[in-house]
Amino acid sequence: VLLAVYVGYVGMGAAVLQALERPVEVRMAQRLLQERLELLANHTCLQGPNLQRLIEGIIQAYKSGITLQGNTTSLGRWDYSGSFFFSISAITTIGYGNLSPSTAVGRIFCIMFALFGIPLNLILLNEIGQLMLLGVQHCAHRLEEVFHWQNKASLLMKTCALVTGLLLFLLLPPLLFSDKEGWSYEEGFYYSFITLSTIGFGDYVIGMNPDRTYPRWYKNVISLWILFGMAWLALVIKFCINLLE
Amino acid sequence: QISWPPLLVLGYLFYLLLGATVFQLLEKQAETHFRDQFQLEKLNFLQNYTCLDRQALEKFVQVLMEAWEKGVNPEGNSTNPSNWDFSNSFFFAGTVVTTIGYGNLSPSTVAGQIFCVFYALFGVPLNLAFLNQLGKGLNAHLLTLERWVQKPGRAQVQLAIFLSTGTLLFLVFPPLVFSYVEGWSYGEGFYFTFITLSTIGFGDYVVGTNPNKHYIPVYRSLTAIWIVFGLAWLALVFNVGADLMEKFLQLKWYKSDLSLAEGATTKLEDEPEQPRIHIPS
Repeated sequence: VLLAVYVGYVGMGAAVLQALERPVEVRMAQRLLQERLELLANHTCLQGPNLQRLIEGIIQAYKSGITLQGNTTSLGRWDYSGSFFFSISAITTIGYGNLSPSTAVGRIFCIMFALFGIPLNLILLNEIGQLMLLGVQHCAHRLEEVFHWQNKASLLMKTCALVTGLLLFLLLPPLLFSDKEGWSYEEGFYYSFITLSTIGFGDYVIGMNPDRTYPRWYKNVISLWILFGMAWLALVIKFCINLLE
Repeated sequence: QISWPPLLVLGYLFYLLLGATVFQLLEKQAETHFRDQFQLEKLNFLQNYTCLDRQALEKFVQVLMEAWEKGVNPEGNSTNPSNWDFSNSFFFAGTVVTTIGYGNLSPSTVAGQIFCVFYALFGVPLNLAFLNQLGKGLNAHLLTLERWVQKPGRAQVQLAIFLSTGTLLFLVFPPLVFSYVEGWSYGEGFYFTFITLSTIGFGDYVVGTNPNKHYIPVYRSLTAIWIVFGLAWLALVFNVGADLMEKFLQLKWYKSDLSLAEGATTKLEDEPEQPRIHIPS
Protein backbone atom coordinates (compact mmCIF):
# COMPACT_ATOMS: atom_id res chain seq x y z
CA VAL A 1 0.00 0.00 0.00
CA LEU A 2 2.85 2.35 0.80
CA LEU A 3 4.30 1.73 -2.62
CA ALA A 4 1.00 2.66 -4.24
CA VAL A 5 0.88 5.88 -2.20
CA TYR A 6 4.42 6.67 -3.19
CA VAL A 7 3.92 6.04 -6.90
CA GLY A 8 0.65 7.93 -6.84
CA TYR A 9 2.26 10.87 -5.11
CA VAL A 10 5.08 11.12 -7.63
CA GLY A 11 2.66 10.72 -10.50
CA MET A 12 0.50 13.49 -9.16
CA GLY A 13 3.49 15.77 -8.87
CA ALA A 14 4.51 15.00 -12.42
CA ALA A 15 1.08 15.82 -13.76
CA VAL A 16 0.83 19.11 -11.89
CA LEU A 17 4.29 20.24 -12.92
CA GLN A 18 3.68 19.34 -16.51
CA ALA A 19 0.51 21.39 -16.48
CA LEU A 20 2.33 24.34 -14.94
CA GLU A 21 5.55 24.34 -16.90
CA ARG A 22 4.73 23.15 -20.38
CA PRO A 23 2.87 26.26 -21.65
CA VAL A 24 5.69 28.53 -20.53
CA GLU A 25 8.20 26.28 -22.19
CA VAL A 26 6.32 26.29 -25.47
CA ARG A 27 6.03 30.08 -25.44
CA MET A 28 9.74 30.50 -24.69
CA ALA A 29 10.65 28.19 -27.55
CA GLN A 30 8.49 30.09 -30.02
CA ARG A 31 9.89 33.42 -28.93
CA LEU A 32 13.42 32.12 -29.26
CA LEU A 33 12.83 30.94 -32.81
CA GLN A 34 11.39 34.31 -33.69
CA GLU A 35 14.37 36.15 -32.24
CA ARG A 36 16.82 34.03 -34.12
CA LEU A 37 15.11 34.69 -37.44
CA GLU A 38 15.21 38.40 -36.72
CA LEU A 39 18.89 38.18 -35.86
CA LEU A 40 19.70 36.53 -39.14
CA ALA A 41 17.77 39.18 -41.01
CA ASN A 42 19.69 42.01 -39.34
CA HIS A 43 23.11 40.40 -39.19
CA THR A 44 24.95 43.24 -40.83
CA CYS A 45 24.63 45.54 -37.84
CA LEU A 46 25.80 43.28 -35.01
CA GLN A 47 27.83 45.21 -32.43
CA GLY A 48 29.09 44.80 -28.88
CA PRO A 49 25.90 45.64 -26.99
CA ASN A 50 23.92 43.53 -29.43
CA LEU A 51 26.26 40.67 -28.89
CA GLN A 52 25.89 41.01 -25.15
CA ARG A 53 22.16 40.91 -25.40
CA LEU A 54 22.42 37.91 -27.69
CA ILE A 55 24.54 36.09 -25.14
CA GLU A 56 22.24 36.96 -22.29
CA GLY A 57 19.28 35.77 -24.28
CA ILE A 58 20.97 32.50 -25.08
CA ILE A 59 21.95 31.91 -21.46
CA GLN A 60 18.46 32.74 -20.30
CA ALA A 61 16.98 30.25 -22.73
CA TYR A 62 19.51 27.63 -21.78
CA LYS A 63 18.74 28.07 -18.09
CA SER A 64 15.09 27.42 -18.73
CA GLY A 65 16.03 24.14 -20.33
CA ILE A 66 15.67 24.64 -24.06
CA THR A 67 18.11 22.92 -26.39
CA LEU A 68 19.27 25.47 -28.88
CA GLN A 69 20.77 23.53 -31.71
CA GLY A 70 19.34 22.67 -35.05
CA ASN A 71 16.55 24.45 -36.84
CA THR A 72 13.80 23.65 -34.41
CA THR A 73 14.11 24.01 -30.67
CA SER A 74 13.65 20.60 -29.14
CA LEU A 75 10.76 20.54 -26.71
CA GLY A 76 9.54 17.83 -24.41
CA ARG A 77 11.66 18.42 -21.34
CA TRP A 78 8.48 18.84 -19.33
CA ASP A 79 6.55 16.02 -20.95
CA TYR A 80 5.10 13.45 -18.58
CA SER A 81 8.13 11.22 -18.51
CA GLY A 82 10.39 14.19 -17.90
CA SER A 83 8.18 15.64 -15.19
CA PHE A 84 7.98 12.26 -13.49
CA PHE A 85 11.71 12.00 -13.44
CA PHE A 86 11.90 15.53 -12.12
CA SER A 87 9.53 14.70 -9.28
CA ILE A 88 11.70 11.76 -8.33
CA SER A 89 14.76 13.95 -8.41
CA ALA A 90 13.01 16.39 -6.10
CA ILE A 91 11.75 14.07 -3.36
CA THR A 92 14.83 11.87 -3.33
CA THR A 93 16.67 15.18 -2.92
CA ILE A 94 18.92 14.30 -5.83
CA GLY A 95 17.91 17.56 -7.52
CA TYR A 96 19.77 17.41 -10.83
CA GLY A 97 18.84 20.93 -11.80
CA ASN A 98 19.10 20.42 -15.54
CA LEU A 99 15.36 20.87 -15.33
CA SER A 100 13.90 23.15 -12.69
CA PRO A 101 10.66 25.07 -12.33
CA SER A 102 10.82 28.53 -13.84
CA THR A 103 7.32 29.75 -13.02
CA ALA A 104 6.63 31.18 -9.58
CA VAL A 105 3.70 28.83 -9.10
CA GLY A 106 5.81 25.87 -10.18
CA ARG A 107 8.36 26.78 -7.57
CA ILE A 108 5.85 27.18 -4.78
CA PHE A 109 4.38 23.85 -5.72
CA CYS A 110 7.82 22.34 -5.81
CA ILE A 111 8.46 23.49 -2.26
CA MET A 112 5.20 22.08 -0.98
CA PHE A 113 5.72 18.92 -2.99
CA ALA A 114 9.14 18.36 -1.49
CA LEU A 115 8.02 19.27 2.02
CA PHE A 116 5.77 16.24 2.13
CA GLY A 117 7.54 14.14 -0.45
CA ILE A 118 10.86 13.94 1.27
CA PRO A 119 9.57 12.36 4.51
CA LEU A 120 7.51 10.03 2.39
CA ASN A 121 10.59 9.08 0.45
CA LEU A 122 12.49 8.49 3.66
CA ILE A 123 9.82 6.14 4.93
CA LEU A 124 9.88 4.18 1.69
CA LEU A 125 13.64 3.91 1.64
CA ASN A 126 13.49 2.72 5.23
CA GLU A 127 11.01 0.05 4.27
CA ILE A 128 13.06 -1.11 1.33
CA GLY A 129 16.15 -1.19 3.49
CA GLN A 130 14.36 -3.24 6.13
CA LEU A 131 13.18 -5.68 3.50
CA MET A 132 16.68 -6.06 2.15
CA LEU A 133 18.04 -6.63 5.64
CA LEU A 134 15.37 -9.21 6.42
CA GLY A 135 16.19 -10.99 3.20
CA VAL A 136 19.86 -11.13 4.07
CA GLN A 137 19.14 -12.38 7.60
CA HIS A 138 16.74 -14.98 6.24
CA CYS A 139 19.40 -16.32 3.91
CA ALA A 140 21.92 -16.31 6.77
CA HIS A 141 19.57 -18.38 8.92
CA ARG A 142 19.05 -20.85 6.11
CA LEU A 143 22.80 -21.20 5.67
CA GLU A 144 23.24 -21.77 9.38
CA GLU A 145 20.63 -24.50 9.30
CA VAL A 146 22.12 -26.26 6.31
CA PHE A 147 25.83 -25.98 7.08
CA HIS A 148 25.81 -25.47 10.85
CA TRP A 149 28.00 -22.36 10.68
CA GLN A 150 27.28 -19.80 13.38
CA ASN A 151 28.57 -16.29 13.09
CA LYS A 152 30.29 -17.04 9.83
CA ALA A 153 27.03 -17.39 7.96
CA SER A 154 25.90 -13.92 8.96
CA LEU A 155 29.18 -12.37 7.92
CA LEU A 156 29.21 -14.31 4.67
CA MET A 157 25.71 -13.20 3.80
CA LYS A 158 26.49 -9.60 4.61
CA THR A 159 29.56 -9.58 2.37
CA CYS A 160 27.56 -11.38 -0.29
CA ALA A 161 24.85 -8.75 -0.09
CA LEU A 162 27.45 -6.02 -0.24
CA VAL A 163 29.06 -7.47 -3.34
CA THR A 164 25.76 -8.11 -5.11
CA GLY A 165 24.64 -4.61 -4.30
CA LEU A 166 27.89 -3.20 -5.55
CA LEU A 167 27.56 -5.05 -8.82
CA LEU A 168 23.89 -4.36 -9.29
CA PHE A 169 23.88 -0.70 -8.37
CA LEU A 170 27.33 0.69 -9.06
CA LEU A 171 29.38 -1.54 -11.33
CA LEU A 172 26.93 -2.91 -13.90
CA PRO A 173 24.68 0.12 -14.61
CA PRO A 174 27.53 2.14 -16.19
CA LEU A 175 27.63 -0.53 -18.89
CA LEU A 176 23.99 0.13 -19.62
CA PHE A 177 24.63 3.86 -19.64
CA SER A 178 27.54 3.65 -22.05
CA ASP A 179 25.30 1.72 -24.39
CA LYS A 180 22.27 3.97 -24.16
CA GLU A 181 23.89 7.35 -23.51
CA GLY A 182 27.25 7.01 -25.15
CA TRP A 183 29.17 7.86 -21.98
CA SER A 184 32.47 6.27 -21.05
CA TYR A 185 32.42 3.71 -18.25
CA GLU A 186 34.00 6.19 -15.86
CA GLU A 187 31.35 8.77 -16.66
CA GLY A 188 28.64 6.19 -16.11
CA PHE A 189 30.13 5.21 -12.79
CA TYR A 190 30.49 8.85 -11.78
CA TYR A 191 26.88 9.45 -12.70
CA SER A 192 25.74 6.35 -10.79
CA PHE A 193 27.47 7.34 -7.63
CA ILE A 194 26.54 11.02 -7.76
CA THR A 195 22.93 9.98 -8.26
CA LEU A 196 22.70 7.30 -5.58
CA SER A 197 24.39 9.50 -3.00
CA THR A 198 21.70 12.12 -3.82
CA ILE A 199 24.34 14.71 -4.59
CA GLY A 200 22.99 14.98 -8.13
CA PHE A 201 25.03 17.64 -9.86
CA GLY A 202 23.11 17.39 -13.08
CA ASP A 203 26.14 17.58 -15.33
CA TYR A 204 25.18 14.08 -16.45
CA VAL A 205 21.53 13.13 -16.63
CA ILE A 206 20.09 10.09 -18.36
CA GLY A 207 17.65 10.44 -21.18
CA MET A 208 18.47 14.05 -22.05
CA ASN A 209 20.26 13.66 -25.33
CA PRO A 210 18.01 14.84 -28.16
CA ASP A 211 20.04 12.89 -30.72
CA ARG A 212 19.31 9.54 -29.14
CA THR A 213 16.23 7.39 -28.93
CA TYR A 214 15.54 5.61 -25.67
CA PRO A 215 13.40 2.51 -25.16
CA ARG A 216 10.16 2.88 -23.28
CA TRP A 217 11.29 0.97 -20.23
CA TYR A 218 14.48 2.95 -19.84
CA LYS A 219 13.46 5.75 -17.50
CA ASN A 220 11.23 3.50 -15.39
CA VAL A 221 13.97 0.95 -14.85
CA ILE A 222 16.35 3.76 -13.95
CA SER A 223 13.85 5.12 -11.42
CA LEU A 224 13.63 1.71 -9.77
CA TRP A 225 17.37 1.46 -9.79
CA ILE A 226 17.60 4.83 -8.05
CA LEU A 227 15.18 3.81 -5.30
CA PHE A 228 16.71 0.44 -4.51
CA GLY A 229 20.21 1.66 -5.00
CA MET A 230 19.64 4.50 -2.55
CA ALA A 231 18.17 2.15 0.03
CA TRP A 232 21.13 -0.19 -0.36
CA LEU A 233 23.67 2.62 -0.17
CA ALA A 234 21.96 4.06 2.91
CA LEU A 235 22.16 0.65 4.58
CA VAL A 236 25.84 0.40 3.76
CA ILE A 237 26.56 3.88 5.10
CA LYS A 238 24.57 3.23 8.26
CA PHE A 239 26.46 -0.02 8.71
CA CYS A 240 29.77 1.80 8.37
CA ILE A 241 28.71 4.41 10.92
CA ASN A 242 27.73 1.62 13.32
CA LEU A 243 31.10 0.00 12.80
CA LEU A 244 32.88 3.29 13.54
CA GLU A 245 31.01 3.83 16.80
CA GLN B 1 32.54 9.82 24.25
CA ILE B 2 33.41 13.21 25.77
CA SER B 3 36.20 13.86 23.29
CA TRP B 4 34.01 13.05 20.27
CA PRO B 5 32.45 16.48 19.45
CA PRO B 6 35.61 18.61 19.12
CA LEU B 7 37.45 15.77 17.40
CA LEU B 8 34.59 15.33 15.01
CA VAL B 9 34.44 19.05 14.27
CA LEU B 10 38.16 19.16 13.63
CA GLY B 11 38.01 16.08 11.43
CA TYR B 12 35.10 17.56 9.51
CA LEU B 13 36.90 20.84 8.94
CA PHE B 14 40.10 19.15 7.93
CA TYR B 15 38.22 16.95 5.51
CA LEU B 16 36.67 20.00 3.82
CA LEU B 17 40.04 21.72 3.55
CA LEU B 18 41.53 18.62 2.04
CA GLY B 19 38.76 18.41 -0.54
CA ALA B 20 39.05 22.07 -1.45
CA THR B 21 42.77 21.79 -2.02
CA VAL B 22 42.53 18.73 -4.21
CA PHE B 23 39.67 20.12 -6.28
CA GLN B 24 41.53 23.32 -6.86
CA LEU B 25 44.60 21.38 -7.94
CA LEU B 26 42.67 19.23 -10.39
CA GLU B 27 40.26 21.72 -11.88
CA LYS B 28 41.82 25.15 -11.99
CA GLN B 29 44.05 24.49 -14.96
CA ALA B 30 41.34 22.98 -17.11
CA GLU B 31 39.08 25.88 -16.28
CA THR B 32 41.67 28.48 -17.32
CA HIS B 33 42.14 26.68 -20.58
CA PHE B 34 38.43 26.70 -21.36
CA ARG B 35 38.08 30.31 -20.36
CA ASP B 36 40.89 31.45 -22.63
CA GLN B 37 39.49 29.43 -25.49
CA PHE B 38 36.11 31.00 -25.03
CA GLN B 39 37.50 34.56 -24.95
CA LEU B 40 39.26 33.88 -28.23
CA GLU B 41 36.04 32.67 -29.78
CA LYS B 42 34.28 35.80 -28.69
CA LEU B 43 36.89 38.07 -30.24
CA ASN B 44 36.74 36.21 -33.51
CA PHE B 45 33.01 36.51 -33.52
CA LEU B 46 33.17 40.28 -33.09
CA GLN B 47 35.66 40.60 -35.92
CA ASN B 48 33.61 38.52 -38.32
CA TYR B 49 30.14 39.74 -37.50
CA THR B 50 29.59 41.09 -40.97
CA CYS B 51 29.69 37.59 -42.36
CA LEU B 52 27.28 36.12 -39.81
CA ASP B 53 25.41 33.19 -41.26
CA ARG B 54 23.51 30.26 -39.82
CA GLN B 55 26.56 28.07 -39.47
CA ALA B 56 28.52 30.69 -37.58
CA LEU B 57 25.63 31.34 -35.27
CA GLU B 58 25.18 27.66 -34.52
CA LYS B 59 28.81 27.29 -33.74
CA PHE B 60 28.68 30.29 -31.46
CA VAL B 61 25.69 28.97 -29.60
CA GLN B 62 27.35 25.62 -29.13
CA VAL B 63 30.45 27.35 -27.81
CA LEU B 64 28.31 29.29 -25.36
CA MET B 65 26.58 26.18 -24.14
CA GLU B 66 29.77 24.27 -23.68
CA ALA B 67 31.28 27.15 -21.75
CA TRP B 68 28.20 27.36 -19.56
CA GLU B 69 28.28 23.65 -18.85
CA LYS B 70 31.89 23.91 -17.82
CA GLY B 71 30.91 26.55 -15.31
CA VAL B 72 32.24 29.55 -17.18
CA ASN B 73 29.78 32.41 -17.20
CA PRO B 74 29.92 33.97 -20.68
CA GLU B 75 28.21 37.13 -19.48
CA GLY B 76 31.28 38.36 -17.65
CA ASN B 77 34.72 39.24 -18.91
CA SER B 78 38.11 37.62 -18.44
CA THR B 79 38.80 39.29 -15.08
CA ASN B 80 36.13 37.10 -13.46
CA PRO B 81 37.13 35.44 -10.20
CA SER B 82 37.96 31.82 -10.86
CA ASN B 83 35.30 29.24 -10.15
CA TRP B 84 37.90 26.99 -8.65
CA ASP B 85 39.80 29.37 -6.38
CA PHE B 86 40.13 28.18 -2.80
CA SER B 87 37.05 29.84 -1.40
CA ASN B 88 34.87 28.48 -4.18
CA SER B 89 36.42 25.02 -4.03
CA PHE B 90 35.71 24.97 -0.32
CA PHE B 91 32.11 25.81 -0.96
CA PHE B 92 31.99 23.13 -3.63
CA ALA B 93 33.44 20.51 -1.30
CA GLY B 94 30.76 21.46 1.19
CA THR B 95 28.03 20.97 -1.37
CA VAL B 96 29.41 17.52 -2.14
CA VAL B 97 29.65 16.38 1.46
CA THR B 98 26.20 17.67 2.39
CA THR B 99 24.87 16.06 -0.82
CA ILE B 100 23.35 19.37 -1.90
CA GLY B 101 25.24 19.17 -5.20
CA TYR B 102 24.18 22.37 -6.95
CA GLY B 103 25.75 21.40 -10.23
CA ASN B 104 26.37 24.94 -11.45
CA LEU B 105 29.95 23.83 -10.91
CA SER B 106 31.11 20.26 -11.26
CA PRO B 107 34.39 18.48 -11.97
CA SER B 108 35.06 18.26 -15.68
CA THR B 109 38.33 16.35 -15.60
CA VAL B 110 38.24 12.56 -15.31
CA ALA B 111 40.56 12.67 -12.32
CA GLY B 112 38.36 15.27 -10.66
CA GLN B 113 35.30 13.13 -11.16
CA ILE B 114 36.89 9.98 -9.78
CA PHE B 115 38.22 11.92 -6.83
CA CYS B 116 34.79 13.39 -6.27
CA VAL B 117 33.30 9.90 -6.03
CA PHE B 118 35.71 8.71 -3.39
CA TYR B 119 35.61 12.02 -1.62
CA ALA B 120 31.86 11.74 -1.26
CA LEU B 121 32.09 8.06 -0.26
CA PHE B 122 33.78 9.06 2.95
CA GLY B 123 32.53 12.60 3.21
CA VAL B 124 28.83 11.88 3.25
CA PRO B 125 28.92 9.53 6.27
CA LEU B 126 31.21 11.99 7.97
CA ASN B 127 28.72 14.74 7.31
CA LEU B 128 25.88 12.60 8.63
CA ALA B 129 27.75 11.81 11.83
CA PHE B 130 28.56 15.49 12.21
CA LEU B 131 24.98 16.62 11.73
CA ASN B 132 23.93 13.90 14.14
CA GLN B 133 26.15 15.34 16.85
CA LEU B 134 24.95 18.83 16.05
CA GLY B 135 21.35 17.77 16.29
CA LYS B 136 21.96 16.17 19.66
CA GLY B 137 23.64 19.35 20.83
CA LEU B 138 20.73 21.47 19.63
CA ASN B 139 18.30 19.18 21.36
CA ALA B 140 20.30 19.36 24.60
CA HIS B 141 20.07 23.14 24.46
CA LEU B 142 16.36 22.83 23.89
CA LEU B 143 15.97 20.72 27.01
CA THR B 144 17.89 23.23 29.14
CA LEU B 145 15.71 25.98 27.70
CA GLU B 146 12.63 24.04 28.67
CA ARG B 147 13.91 23.81 32.23
CA TRP B 148 14.33 27.60 32.29
CA VAL B 149 10.75 28.14 31.18
CA GLN B 150 9.70 25.82 34.03
CA LYS B 151 7.02 24.04 32.04
CA PRO B 152 8.09 20.43 32.28
CA GLY B 153 6.57 17.78 30.06
CA ARG B 154 4.62 19.97 27.66
CA ALA B 155 5.97 18.33 24.55
CA GLN B 156 3.68 20.18 22.17
CA VAL B 157 4.73 23.61 23.46
CA GLN B 158 8.35 22.62 23.24
CA LEU B 159 7.85 21.38 19.71
CA ALA B 160 6.02 24.56 18.70
CA ILE B 161 8.70 26.85 20.08
CA PHE B 162 11.39 24.74 18.47
CA LEU B 163 9.67 24.77 15.09
CA SER B 164 8.90 28.48 15.08
CA THR B 165 12.36 29.67 16.14
CA GLY B 166 13.95 27.34 13.63
CA THR B 167 11.62 28.48 10.88
CA LEU B 168 12.41 32.12 11.56
CA LEU B 169 16.13 31.63 11.86
CA PHE B 170 16.61 29.32 8.92
CA LEU B 171 13.74 29.84 6.53
CA VAL B 172 12.26 33.30 6.99
CA PHE B 173 15.19 35.53 7.82
CA PRO B 174 17.95 34.32 5.44
CA PRO B 175 15.98 34.99 2.24
CA LEU B 176 15.91 38.65 3.27
CA VAL B 177 19.69 38.66 3.37
CA PHE B 178 19.99 36.80 0.09
CA SER B 179 17.50 38.95 -1.78
CA TYR B 180 19.34 42.03 -0.59
CA VAL B 181 22.83 40.81 -1.45
CA GLU B 182 22.04 38.88 -4.63
CA GLY B 183 19.30 41.06 -5.99
CA TRP B 184 16.72 38.30 -5.97
CA SER B 185 13.11 38.70 -5.01
CA TYR B 186 12.09 37.40 -1.61
CA GLY B 187 10.33 34.47 -3.27
CA GLU B 188 13.45 33.51 -5.15
CA GLY B 189 15.47 33.79 -1.97
CA PHE B 190 13.04 31.57 -0.12
CA TYR B 191 13.05 29.07 -2.97
CA PHE B 192 16.82 28.98 -2.87
CA THR B 193 16.79 28.60 0.92
CA PHE B 194 14.44 25.67 0.88
CA ILE B 195 16.05 23.88 -2.07
CA THR B 196 19.41 24.24 -0.36
CA LEU B 197 18.40 23.15 3.14
CA SER B 198 16.53 20.14 1.84
CA THR B 199 19.77 19.20 0.03
CA ILE B 200 17.90 19.00 -3.24
CA GLY B 201 20.16 21.71 -4.61
CA PHE B 202 19.03 22.27 -8.18
CA GLY B 203 21.65 24.89 -8.79
CA ASP B 204 19.43 27.28 -10.70
CA TYR B 205 20.11 29.72 -7.86
CA VAL B 206 23.43 29.72 -6.08
CA VAL B 207 24.80 32.38 -3.75
CA GLY B 208 27.90 34.28 -4.69
CA THR B 209 27.99 33.43 -8.39
CA ASN B 210 26.93 36.70 -9.97
CA PRO B 211 29.98 38.13 -11.79
CA ASN B 212 28.54 41.64 -11.68
CA LYS B 213 28.42 41.80 -7.90
CA HIS B 214 31.04 42.23 -5.23
CA TYR B 215 30.72 40.04 -2.16
CA ILE B 216 32.42 40.49 1.19
CA PRO B 217 34.92 37.67 1.82
CA VAL B 218 33.05 36.11 4.75
CA TYR B 219 29.80 36.00 2.81
CA ARG B 220 30.14 32.47 1.53
CA SER B 221 31.59 31.24 4.84
CA LEU B 222 28.61 32.66 6.73
CA THR B 223 26.35 31.00 4.21
CA ALA B 224 28.15 27.69 4.76
CA ILE B 225 27.64 27.95 8.53
CA TRP B 226 23.99 28.75 8.03
CA ILE B 227 23.65 25.75 5.71
CA VAL B 228 25.15 23.34 8.25
CA PHE B 229 22.97 24.46 11.14
CA GLY B 230 19.94 24.72 8.95
CA LEU B 231 20.54 21.18 7.70
CA ALA B 232 20.70 19.80 11.21
CA TRP B 233 17.48 21.57 12.10
CA LEU B 234 15.65 20.59 8.92
CA ALA B 235 16.76 16.96 9.20
CA LEU B 236 15.26 16.90 12.68
CA VAL B 237 12.03 18.33 11.33
CA PHE B 238 11.86 15.83 8.49
CA ASN B 239 12.49 12.97 10.85
CA VAL B 240 9.72 14.13 13.17
CA GLY B 241 7.49 14.45 10.12
CA ALA B 242 8.38 10.97 8.94
CA ASP B 243 7.69 9.62 12.43
CA LEU B 244 4.27 11.27 12.49
CA MET B 245 3.46 9.95 9.02
CA GLU B 246 4.52 6.48 10.06
CA LYS B 247 2.36 6.54 13.18
CA PHE B 248 -0.52 7.72 11.07
CA LEU B 249 0.00 4.98 8.51
CA GLN B 250 0.41 2.33 11.20
CA LEU B 251 -2.86 3.36 12.75
CA LYS B 252 -4.51 2.99 9.39
CA TRP B 253 -2.85 -0.17 8.18
CA TYR B 254 -1.46 -2.49 10.84
CA LYS B 255 1.57 -4.38 9.65
CA SER B 256 3.04 -7.51 11.19
CA ASP B 257 6.70 -6.64 10.61
CA LEU B 258 6.63 -3.75 13.10
CA SER B 259 10.38 -3.55 13.35
CA LEU B 260 9.73 0.14 12.73
CA ALA B 261 8.03 0.20 16.11
CA GLU B 262 11.42 0.91 17.64
CA GLY B 263 11.22 4.41 16.38
CA ALA B 264 7.52 4.84 17.05
CA THR B 265 8.00 6.94 20.15
CA THR B 266 8.79 10.37 18.82
CA LYS B 267 11.88 11.61 20.55
CA LEU B 268 13.56 14.83 19.63
CA GLU B 269 16.83 13.15 20.51
CA ASP B 270 16.38 10.95 17.46
CA GLU B 271 19.34 10.99 15.17
CA PRO B 272 18.79 13.71 12.60
CA GLU B 273 20.50 11.81 9.86
CA GLN B 274 18.77 10.94 6.70
CA PRO B 275 17.78 8.38 5.83
CA ARG B 276 16.80 6.91 9.12
CA ILE B 277 17.36 3.17 9.14
CA HIS B 278 17.35 0.92 12.19
CA ILE B 279 19.66 -2.04 11.97
CA PRO B 280 18.89 -4.55 14.70
CA SER B 281 22.20 -5.64 16.14
